[in-house]
Amino acid sequence: MAAPASAYKDRQFLAVIGDEDSVTGLLLAGIGHVTPAPDSQKNFLVVDSKTEASAIEEAFVRFTEERKDIGILLINQHIAEKIRHRVDSYTAAFPALLEIPSKDHPYDPEKDSVLRRVRRLFGE
Amino acid sequence: MSGATNREAVFPTRQSLGIMKSKLKGAQTGHDLLKRKSEALTKRFREITRRIDEAKRKMGRVMQIAAFSLAEVTYAVGGDIGYQVQESAKSARFRVRTKQENVSGVFLPAFESYTTEGNNDFGLTGLGKGGQQVQRCRETYARAVETLVELASLQTAFVILDEVIKVVNRRVNAIEHVIIPRTENTIKYINSELDELDREEFFRLKKVQNKKQRDTAIQDAEMRAKREDAEKRDKDKENEETGGGGDILGDDEDADVIF
Amino acid sequence: MEGLFFNANNGYIEGIVRGYRNGLLTSNNYNNLVQCETIDDLKLQLGPAYGDFLASLPPNPSTSTLAAKTTDKLISEFRYVRANAVGSLAKFMDYLTYGYMIDNVALLITGTLHERDTRELLDRCHPLGWFETMPVLCVATNIEELYNSVLIETPLAPYFKGSLSHQDLDELNIEIVRNTLYKNYLEDFHNFVNTDSEMAGTPTAEVMTEILEFEADRRAINITLNSFGTELSKADRKKLYPAFGRLYPEGSFMLSRADDIEGVRLAVEGVNDYKTYFDQAGMGQSSGPGNMSGGSGSDGKSLEDLFYQKEMEISKGAFTRQFTFAIVYAWVKLREQEIRNITWIAECIAQNQKERIGNYISVF
Repeated sequence: MAAPASAYKDRQFLAVIGDEDSVTGLLLAGIGHVTPAPDSQKNFLVVDSKTEASAIEEAFVRFTEERKDIGILLINQHIAEKIRHRVDSYTAAFPALLEIPSKDHPYDPEKDSVLRRVRRLFGE
Repeated sequence: MSGATNREAVFPTRQSLGIMKSKLKGAQTGHDLLKRKSEALTKRFREITRRIDEAKRKMGRVMQIAAFSLAEVTYAVGGDIGYQVQESAKSARFRVRTKQENVSGVFLPAFESYTTEGNNDFGLTGLGKGGQQVQRCRETYARAVETLVELASLQTAFVILDEVIKVVNRRVNAIEHVIIPRTENTIKYINSELDELDREEFFRLKKVQNKKQRDTAIQDAEMRAKREDAEKRDKDKENEETGGGGDILGDDEDADVIF
Repeated sequence: MEGLFFNANNGYIEGIVRGYRNGLLTSNNYNNLVQCETIDDLKLQLGPAYGDFLASLPPNPSTSTLAAKTTDKLISEFRYVRANAVGSLAKFMDYLTYGYMIDNVALLITGTLHERDTRELLDRCHPLGWFETMPVLCVATNIEELYNSVLIETPLAPYFKGSLSHQDLDELNIEIVRNTLYKNYLEDFHNFVNTDSEMAGTPTAEVMTEILEFEADRRAINITLNSFGTELSKADRKKLYPAFGRLYPEGSFMLSRADDIEGVRLAVEGVNDYKTYFDQAGMGQSSGPGNMSGGSGSDGKSLEDLFYQKEMEISKGAFTRQFTFAIVYAWVKLREQEIRNITWIAECIAQNQKERIGNYISVF
């Protein structure tokens, strides 16, 4: 009803935008996927203090709009903060967008775009 | 719901009344069904919302434990493995597939994680030192990611349900506040028009009846006048018979005819 | 007799290093550290030992920057000692750095293989393994050039030669390359301390042999344990075992044939220390590969912990000897462990995992 099967049947990977530790851990779990050369594409982006917001945004767009094989996009909450406007205006069901905590930034439910929506709906 | 304007453009006939009545019935059934669907979905939705809330908190904990196991790796390996891990990632071992779940006619996709066997990009990481911690960390993270996948399913369901519920509620509201009142108004209108016709008819009938009664009354009166006239004449005749007789036969004949 | 002229050349260094050793954190210090509620508290507690180096840290620094700063202290002290060292001691200290150099080169190889800009990697290299010509390696754009540069520019050439060709760098897993190099390095180091004219037959050779043998055994055991379930074949695995150590040759041979943890346990049976570790770590029972109960599950000490503990004890023991270079090695290892301990404690505080904060290893 809401989404045709074609919208998600090929989505089999997870993607991640995060700091080095989060990415390392998630890659260890085995989510990393690098498509073969040429134009090999990674499904993860390591963000450090030097990474520009535009680069994060670009990766965000790439993972959410361009690539059709990504089912879930994980993003560190403190990185989501940097592109908050994008994250908040993202409403599509696929890929699912999850804000995850990182080592140095514990999880804050107040900032989560989905949880905020939940709160709004129930008028809390 | 201002009477006359908010109704459908139909001729006030008995046939269209019938159509309208069945339409109203249909709308009410539809409304009930949709209402029930919306309630079922909302129930589900609330449940999901609650679970999301829980799962998000759980995720906070799980990710912390996972991050901690990475700290153990750093401790045991005695160095940073981040770069090496990033570079040796090739093919995803941990993947998701989507399946569908039917909730009151809405297909909710759910993610299901699975691991592909055989490819292990990090099997040799920490070979000389810390390999066990690396393996342990991998398992911890794999479990954490499973939690994340679960949460992603809930969240997707949340987004889709939110959308669907909005649509359904819009329909319920449309039926409840637009279609039903309108149909009812139309029925009311048709009824009132038909009643009006009925009253006119009745009045006309009454008029006709009145007239008829008047007519009969007049006739009756005439009759009675005539009869009285005749009786009078009879009496006169009798009086005349006792006096003179000539017309009695004629009068008797007349009386026979009437009575 | 061997100590007769030791102080003429190396007395100063020995004094300095012994001084450094006394600056290491003691159990008392650690007890104070684990009481800390925040990283700032921790920083304050570390003040006396690390003062200057932590001064520039922002409030509530991340654990990784804390680790970097504490390492900086080790580096600067090491460089000072190295600058004052002469003769064999200087060479000995160079040998010490080769281990870190191997890690750095492995990093560069990884970067080059994936056609990354290796210059960025220089920041990630361990400063102890830094050599002056290292930036030259970054010029290499393909693996063959890099291979040649490594041979020409670094002291690691002998470890490459004979064991690894440039094709190997391309084809073998980087971990295998690293461990091959490390094996060659350990053997070379072992050979060096036992044959150098200033060291052979001295306490240096004695202590260092013990340390290196332990290191060799530890690597052999770890490699074996970690190779289960991977594509590393037994024959390849055997090539990674250093050709000395208390397990060598019988134990190594048995290790090379081990299929599971039980096999490893049998292989180390001959050496009492290791056997005890296996028993303590609860390995060899049917508990699956190691104690992989994950994150918070393992309350006992793991095999690695016990190995670290042993290493620290040997290092501590080295200071009971006179006239030996081994204290420099021991001091570096002790200091490294201290940094790991601090990082661990900081990590536990930062992530609120206080129940496992006691997992550090303190020997003083």
